[in-house]
Amino acid sequence: MAGELIGDLLRLTVLAGLGVAGIVAILIWKKNLAMRVTFLRLVIQAVAFAAIFYIFTYSAVIPMLYELIILFAITLFIGRFFCGWLCPFALIMDLESLLRRALKIRYRIIPDKLNIALHKSRYLILLVFLLLPAVLWLLDPQEILVSPLMAQLLAGHFRPYGILLDPMIPFIVPWTGPLNIGGVNLSYPYAQNIITFTGAELGQIFAIAFVAVTLIGGFFIRRAWCRFCPTGISLAAINQFKGLRGVPLVYVDKDEEKCTKCGVCKRVCPVQVNEVYEQKGGKIGTSQCMLCARCVEMCPYEDALKIRVGNKTVFRSRDWLQPPKVE
Amino acid sequence: MDLGTQRVQVVALKDGAVVGRAQGFSGFDPTKAAEQAVNEALTQANLKLSDVNHFAATGSAMDMAPYVNSTVSMMGADAKAGVFLAPKARTIIDVGAEEARAVKTDERGIMVDFVVNERCAAGAGAFIEAMARALEVKLEDMGSLALKAERASPINASCVIFGESDVVSLIHRQESKPEIARAVFDAMADRVSAMMHRLGINPEVVLVGGVAKDPGFVASLNRKLGLTVVIPKYPEYVGALGAALIAATRVKEAPK
Amino acid sequence: MTKTVEKKFLPDVPKKEMDELRNTVKAASLKIIADNIERMKKADPHRPEAMKYFDDIANLFGQRQQEIQAEKEKGKKVIGYMCLFAPTELITAADAIPVRVNSGWYDTSKLGDRVVPVEVCPVIRSTIGAKMIELSPFLEQSDALISVLTCDGMTKLSEILGDTKAVWGMNIPRVKDSTQSLRFWNDEIKHMKTQIEQFTGNKINRKNLKEAIEISHRATKAFRRLQELRKGNPVIMGRDAMLVNQAYSWDDKKRWTEKTEALCAELEKRVERKDWVVSPDTPRVMVTGTPMFWPDNWKLPTLVEEGNPQGVIVADEQCSGERILNDPIGVDEWSMDDMLNAMSERYLMASTCPCFTSKDGNEDRINWLLNKVKEWKVQGVVYYVVRGCMLYAMEYTRVKKALDKINVPVYYLDTEYTREDVGQMKTRVEAFLEMLNARIDI
Repeated sequence: MAGELIGDLLRLTVLAGLGVAGIVAILIWKKNLAMRVTFLRLVIQAVAFAAIFYIFTYSAVIPMLYELIILFAITLFIGRFFCGWLCPFALIMDLESLLRRALKIRYRIIPDKLNIALHKSRYLILLVFLLLPAVLWLLDPQEILVSPLMAQLLAGHFRPYGILLDPMIPFIVPWTGPLNIGGVNLSYPYAQNIITFTGAELGQIFAIAFVAVTLIGGFFIRRAWCRFCPTGISLAAINQFKGLRGVPLVYVDKDEEKCTKCGVCKRVCPVQVNEVYEQKGGKIGTSQCMLCARCVEMCPYEDALKIRVGNKTVFRSRDWLQPPKVE
Repeated sequence: MDLGTQRVQVVALKDGAVVGRAQGFSGFDPTKAAEQAVNEALTQANLKLSDVNHFAATGSAMDMAPYVNSTVSMMGADAKAGVFLAPKARTIIDVGAEEARAVKTDERGIMVDFVVNERCAAGAGAFIEAMARALEVKLEDMGSLALKAERASPINASCVIFGESDVVSLIHRQESKPEIARAVFDAMADRVSAMMHRLGINPEVVLVGGVAKDPGFVASLNRKLGLTVVIPKYPEYVGALGAALIAATRVKEAPK
Repeated sequence: MTKTVEKKFLPDVPKKEMDELRNTVKAASLKIIADNIERMKKADPHRPEAMKYFDDIANLFGQRQQEIQAEKEKGKKVIGYMCLFAPTELITAADAIPVRVNSGWYDTSKLGDRVVPVEVCPVIRSTIGAKMIELSPFLEQSDALISVLTCDGMTKLSEILGDTKAVWGMNIPRVKDSTQSLRFWNDEIKHMKTQIEQFTGNKINRKNLKEAIEISHRATKAFRRLQELRKGNPVIMGRDAMLVNQAYSWDDKKRWTEKTEALCAELEKRVERKDWVVSPDTPRVMVTGTPMFWPDNWKLPTLVEEGNPQGVIVADEQCSGERILNDPIGVDEWSMDDMLNAMSERYLMASTCPCFTSKDGNEDRINWLLNKVKEWKVQGVVYYVVRGCMLYAMEYTRVKKALDKINVPVYYLDTEYTREDVGQMKTRVEAFLEMLNARIDI
């Protein structure tokens, strides 16, 4: 009991730390202090990684369903901020990208059409998962438990919903993971689910293949998985309703007159969002955008691109040839 | 004082009213011609040279003008005088010897926008003069001649030289003189109205400059623009009057 | 049977006549350079000290010519270019010297009339004329030319200059915002890279290209510092700033950057002292349109800044001015591939040259002009077009409408490569400035 309490206190400390880190980050933005947002983002990603790792590994108190709900709610209001700044799976891919850059290997881009197709396919994937409990129930009628216990475990027919939390499963946890490669137990996003759904023997092979494909893909293609990650879709789905277009409070804003259409934003976007280039101005309304702010950071024209929260600008593009006034 | 390419006009202004006006040919020595005109105007007004508070010059040769205290651009002078003469005027067309310009103004006589014809003289008085020569009629008769015509012959007005050869070929085709004369004015009015359209036509339109005295041109322009242009009493003095009016405000602003 | 017709445009000018002509034009040009600088000094009695360097470098037949000659003797190649779309970073990376060779000499445009009709853009005619009498030092010194086929004039000019030199045409797409254009242009850039490598014998690798791009970045940084200074009350005459910007296209890039930074430092001190070059209520004018090349084609800025009433040029939107350095190369990752991609995007998409069109016409230029008007608090725009420059002339209507909407007057001024119309231009420019003054007073 005491151990659990200490654990919870620790967890809360980590969460508080995360919050403070977020506030500090915003302050740095506001004062235009950050030299490179990319580095700032890596720090935040690392902190988030630690926090999420902690929650998932040790805490049984916050039920998974609630986590899912919170995640969706957050996404509803601040867009896919989670994907760009907090997601551990994204951190893996960002680290891979850093490694690739260090090795001077160029990234590949996937054709725009395929990119859009992948993006759209997420709706299908989401739909399948949402309908799965119903199908399972039809096959095997079972009392639906709406209880904290069920919520905690996403148990029974709701088990498939857990997959939406998969990107948050920390990478390489040698002592708990279900994935066995060369005698070392690893945990990896989606691995456990693959094994569960396809059986241990086959599942192991599939899981290893999945790990290999995503790792290699993530190495050559920036943020490969993010392009069709079903978790990142909540906003995408909600955004389709006209009345809700204004819901995301955090968004990229473009000033038409300051833009010379030099195309930098389009090229540096890790998920190949073209809207930031093609759209003439105003709010860049696409569910593909993860608000990673890379475009804003790289835009060479002052104030042409901005990240805004509501009506407040928190981060603006500035002449990156000029060091910020306050260091 | 308006020192143009062909003529010089001087207006003397006292307490907001015109008290003397004179004109002369600028010729080879515009400075001298201007001096003469100034003297003439002052004599008319019973004034001496030392009585003049402020001399303002305008026109293409304004840098050569004598006695000058300040200079005013032709467009600025047109706008000022146009509104002074016809308070409702918002567009002033000034067709002088070698230049045609249209000035858009506000109710205070401050110019808002302006266009000037391209470097060619085909929108300006010199064109009529050349055509009159080709038709062997007096410049003064061109207008009344044109009014007699029922229809106009087509003519190229992109250039004086080409226009002249066009006129000659019309003569060879034995078109009547009035028709050719009207064609000349129509062509000019075409040019001027194209220029006006670039600026945007705001009524009322005032036509000033020496060419405004020509009834043939006025008729053509009215036809082309589809409205009646207002012509002040002494159109050729408008530039000088504008300069004088601006000089008056400058005197008020900076008393000696 | 094979039929061979020699491709040759340029007439054979006898050596004696050529020398005579060259010497006359050169003497006249030296006088004009000195005169222009003299007038610039007069317009600003306490001109920044740092401008002295640019005055020296502005002498096309002086210091810089000798420097390039010395480098050439050491075995460096010189590669000239006509349009700004030539990727100069590649030239620098291959250890060659990039120089811009467009001509601003009025006198040579009359010689160019012997080869092409007078309707052709005078920049082209003048460059042809300069080649005929071997006047332009940089054109003569360049071992090869990169000609970007932007407008009709440039396309044929490259053929005509091809009589005497290797000219590499770069085919630039006219629709700038489509993926296939970019792909095509990217291929052109890559091809140019191999061509430069073969010609100079130096390999362009990741390291030297990165260095070259960084040199450009630093130059852009200095340029932007200067631009930033011009946003406030005038501390530098527009002509001075225009000369500084234009000097970049023939000067040594590193040294230019240093000197410009020095100039900015000096100007920043003046801003602190509130030491304005002209009264802050002088009308602020922006010039846009056809490029104005040093030394002869300097009449418009001179008229504006020496006019009565006086104006001050606070910004321009010309490929002889601010467009040279406005856009940095936005490299994401310093891999060869990304650098080349970034370069092709910078040269194709960022440009606001009217030779381009896109889905919404050349809207980028309109937007950029509007932005400039707002940022630099421009009170009037002079739209400068030389006869024969179709692209700029035809885009005027749209620009005028856009500027009318924000109530900024714009005046269309057309002229030629000639000194005779200065008087007429003066009347118009001064009337425009008077109008601006009247508007400011209200």
